Amino acid sequence: MLMMSRRQGEIILIGDEIEIVIAHIGRSRVKVGIRAPRQLAVIAHEMKLVGEENRAAAQPPPADVLQALLVQLQPAAHTLRSQADECSVRQDAGTKN
Amino acid sequence: MPVLETANFGNILFTPESVFEFPRGLPGFEERRQFVPVQNPQTAPVVFLQSLEEPSLCFVTLPVLVVDPQYRLRMSEQDLEVLSWQAERQPRIGQDVLCLAVLSFLKSGPTANLLAPVVVDLNSHRAVQAVAAESDYSLQHPLFPQEAALCS
Repeated sequence: MLMMSRRQGEIILIGDEIEIVIAHIGRSRVKVGIRAPRQLAVIAHEMKLVGEENRAAAQPPPADVLQALLVQLQPAAHTLRSQADECSVRQDAGTKN
Repeated sequence: MPVLETANFGNILFTPESVFEFPRGLPGFEERRQFVPVQNPQTAPVVFLQSLEEPSLCFVTLPVLVVDPQYRLRMSEQDLEVLSWQAERQPRIGQDVLCLAVLSFLKSGPTANLLAPVVVDLNSHRAVQAVAAESDYSLQHPLFPQEAALCS
């Protein structure tokens, strides 16, 4: 990767048509101006990642997966139910002995 | 009442006022501008976002506060502009906006996108998927982290 040091207000050129202006340097952020042909998409990298995540998320999962999620979302109800199951197992064990 | 054909719920009835308008679409789906929130008691607190324009397109979401009760919404100027939000302050979840985290179902378990929640203005129903400005929130926040640790 080509690395360049620039000061506020300085410009980088990519080819003949793309201009990158270091508009403002703050404490933790840099404001960058970009002049590029309209047909080139200019987006922050996060937007691309969000787009990929959305495409992966674009359909509901199978019913059993969704059901498992709903059960897990109700931890209180779920805990009570599993405790009840445990009790019934113990009772069974007791009667066998 | 208009009827909407969907791949997941069959035909559903909806009121035009309930439609969420995404003026810029969603990242990856820039042409999809209208979604209907679908909720029912059996699947609460899940909110399905069903596309009005594409029957098979449907996101599974949860109110962000269900995922993280401490969640702090920090929207960028550009995203606030999409909602035509005029106030100086950030919108408040519940009072001003509905804030939904989009879920993904990975092999390792379900995750919520806390980096870019869907934010819907409760008055205008204008909506945007807002990439949280200067945030440490994750694109894939595990919904049940303890369990993931147990399994590994």
